[in-house]
Amino acid sequence: MNEYQFGDKIRHILNQGLSLDSRKAARLQAARELALARKRPEPVGVLASAGVWAGNMVGDFGGWTGLSLRLLVPIAMLLIGLGAIYTWQQNQRAAEVEEIDTQLLTGDLPIDAYLDRGFQNYLKTRAAEE
Amino acid sequence: MASRSELSAFLESVERRAFKQAVFAVRDEEAALDIVQDAMLRLAEKYGHRPAEELPLLFHRIAQNAIRDWFRRQKVRSLWTTLLSSLAPGRGEDEDQDPLETLQATDGSNFQEAPAEQLERAQVLEIIEQELARLPARQRQAFVMRYWEELDVAETARVMGCSEGSVKTHCSRAAHALAAALKARGITL
Repeated sequence: MNEYQFGDKIRHILNQGLSLDSRKAARLQAARELALARKRPEPVGVLASAGVWAGNMVGDFGGWTGLSLRLLVPIAMLLIGLGAIYTWQQNQRAAEVEEIDTQLLTGDLPIDAYLDRGFQNYLKTRAAEE
Repeated sequence: MASRSELSAFLESVERRAFKQAVFAVRDEEAALDIVQDAMLRLAEKYGHRPAEELPLLFHRIAQNAIRDWFRRQKVRSLWTTLLSSLAPGRGEDEDQDPLETLQATDGSNFQEAPAEQLERAQVLEIIEQELARLPARQRQAFVMRYWEELDVAETARVMGCSEGSVKTHCSRAAHALAAALKARGITL
C-alpha cells in the first residue's frame, strides 16, 4: 500500500467520525451564523451602481421634469469650461499674430523685403556659408 | 465573490473537519470550538468578499494561524500559572487508556453494521485520531491537508507557508509514522 492509498483509507475512516453531539453541533452552527452575520456587505456592482446613479440623476418622477440639479450643473459647468477654453485659444492666436505684426512693422527691414525672392535667396546662401 | 449562501455552505462543509483538526492540535474540545469560531469570524469579516474557490485555502490558513495563536496564548498563560499547573485541566488524560485492551485487529472488508463491528470501527477511528494527535504538528498538518482536506501539494504548501518539498517530506514521514503506530497497536487498514 503506497502513501496515497494509505491516505485515502485514513480519510475514509476519519470522515466516519465527523458526527458530533448536539451541543457541539449547535455551537458550530451558532458560530457559522455569527460569522455570516459579520460578513461584509456585498459591494454594489458597476452596472447596478450606474443604474442607481442614473436614477438619482433623473429623479423620482422620471422624464425631463425630473432632471435634478446634479445632472444639469455638471453639464452647464462642462459647457462653460469648453467655452472658456475656446475663447482663451482664440485670444492666444490673436496675440501671436499681433506680436508677429508688431515685430514686422517695428523692424528696420522694410516689409517688402520679405516678399522679395532675391532677398530670401540671399538669406539662405548666407546661412549656408555660416 | 462568494455569496452569503456560498459562504454558509462552505463553512457548513468544513466546520466539523476543522473542529476535529483543532482537537488534534490542541487536545481540548472547548478550545477547538473557540478556534473554529474564531477562524469562521475572521474569514467572513476579512475575506467574505473573495471568490468562493479561494475560501478553502484562506480558511485553512486562518485556522492554522488561530491554532498557533492559541498555543502562543497558552505559553504566555503558562508563564503565570506555573505553580498552579498541576491543578490545571490535563491535556493528555485520554491517553491513559490502552486501546490494545479493547481492540482487535480489523481487516476492514466487512461493512455490516453489526453492533460489535460498529464498536470496532469506532475504536479504530479513536485510535487513528489519537495517533494523528501524537504526530509532530507540522507532519500532522501536512498529512491532514493533503489527505483529509484533499488539497494538492502546492495548496498545502501555501496553507503551511513552506515549500512543496517540505510538504512532501512531512506527508511521507507522517504516513510512515502513522502506519507504524497503527501497526504497533494491531491495526491493519
